[in-house]
Amino acid sequence: MIRKREVAKRVFSFEFSRSTHQIQGDGVVKYLLTPLGERLNRVFIVGVLLEKEEIGADTNFWRLRVSDPTGSFYATVGKFQPEALEIIGDLNVPELVAIVGKPRVFEGVSRKLISLRPENIAVVDLAVRDYWVLETARRTLERIEAMEKRENEDAKLAWQIYNPDLNEYIEVVKKALMSVKEDVEVMEKIEEPERAEEEEEFDFTGFEFEEEEFDLSDLLEE
Amino acid sequence: MSRAEKLTDQILEKLKNSDVRVKREDILKRMRLLVEEFKVPESEAVKTIMNYLVKEYGVPREELFERESPLVKISEIVKPNQWISLKAKVVQLWDSNSPNVSQVGLIGDETGIIKFVIWAKAGMNEVEEGKSYLFKNVVTDSFQGRMQVNIGRTSKIVEISEEINLPPREMEIIGAIVSFQQNSGLIKRCNICKRVLSKGLCHEHGKVEGYDDLRVKAVLDDGLNSYEIILNEENIKELVGMSLEDAIRIAQENLDRNSVLSELKQRLLGRYFAVKGIRGGRYLLVRDISFHKPESKDFEELLEALV
Ligand SMILES: [Zn+2]
Repeated sequence: MIRKREVAKRVFSFEFSRSTHQIQGDGVVKYLLTPLGERLNRVFIVGVLLEKEEIGADTNFWRLRVSDPTGSFYATVGKFQPEALEIIGDLNVPELVAIVGKPRVFEGVSRKLISLRPENIAVVDLAVRDYWVLETARRTLERIEAMEKRENEDAKLAWQIYNPDLNEYIEVVKKALMSVKEDVEVMEKIEEPERAEEEEEFDFTGFEFEEEEFDLSDLLEE
Repeated sequence: MSRAEKLTDQILEKLKNSDVRVKREDILKRMRLLVEEFKVPESEAVKTIMNYLVKEYGVPREELFERESPLVKISEIVKPNQWISLKAKVVQLWDSNSPNVSQVGLIGDETGIIKFVIWAKAGMNEVEEGKSYLFKNVVTDSFQGRMQVNIGRTSKIVEISEEINLPPREMEIIGAIVSFQQNSGLIKRCNICKRVLSKGLCHEHGKVEGYDDLRVKAVLDDGLNSYEIILNEENIKELVGMSLEDAIRIAQENLDRNSVLSELKQRLLGRYFAVKGIRGGRYLLVRDISFHKPESKDFEELLEALV
């Protein structure tokens, strides 16, 4: 019997990278439990591709780092991700990408690294990044509310395992929303035809971001 | 559940309101013998067993053979193994990937849409998209947790002229296309039956010349649910400005039909869309689709709620 397709959940890297606990679902399906009590089997993320590195010469095995306004996602692409591999040669750094993929936990000596195995990668535009941040903020806030109310079994389990500081998550969501809101406002001004002239000097060729906004600590550690 | 078990339950369902008590094991044993061991055609096996029930159990003949299946609306279909009749419009035909299936797709009435399967051995004339029919004596079934109707040899399909409207309540979903499915892009269809060709072959009509068509089968995901959608030539043209003629030209210039698929993936995959349509199971019948982007007030509202 074919299972119902797993929905691609929306999580910020801040929450994703702190998810270490795996749950066995029905049959062979595994889920990653996030600190806010979401079950992940598939995720959809959007961010800036900051690194693309082939691990070893001509292995066609790639490591990616993608940043959203809250931190970084890591991803590995190899021969078992043929559709993602197909596009990897066309990806530039830095560039906005959307990734659909499955979470994977690497057990290190001292800590766990949470990574993504992309099923699909697409180069996207700012509107996609903007909407992703908006809907991921909404979902995250819903999860925070469910945590506050200890609404379901997964929320209770997340409290037990992670005991998260919910205020910290609210601040992260706020910051993410603020950073993108400004971009959206700029775009709206540009798109107003009568104001096009006075905005002419504004060069909006790429995705603007400030490195300080991202959590680069684990990169610096290496 | 095996076919023999299903057929057994379908017979038992006919006797639901009867006074006669029949042992399920008794019918099932006979059904297995006929269908699985002797490979008797299913309809023959059913007929044989019904005759046996008339003779041995004294079931009134008309209860088994003449039983009219009630005319129902799609929203009333909630249980498997019910014999029913439906007036519905064919809203979408899909490619069947099984030689046992003649046609598969979605039918709808004003209460909903549902998947239907016409089995090849039913020997029916083919139905057409956009036309309405009376589907008589069809049986409900549950497949992967979703209801569908099966049209078999004892069913009847009669075209009707009355106008059937689809549900007035459309849903609007904002989601991302997270996956392209097989047979997307520039495809070839059979000249006779419109089925999608696989390696130049129609599994009904064999080697045919075929004609070009442009479409995308994809998965739309809003983070809460995922929906299978089909974008036709018109949808694609509206979204990315590519017509069938453009697609054929792109394929010719690149000497590769797959280049159309690559281009469509580049422009649609990972993007957000606002889709208006009707939901049936895990399928979303697209009425209207456009790219979606947020407005700054969406952010403001959310931020205000946080203060
Ligand atoms: Zn054909």
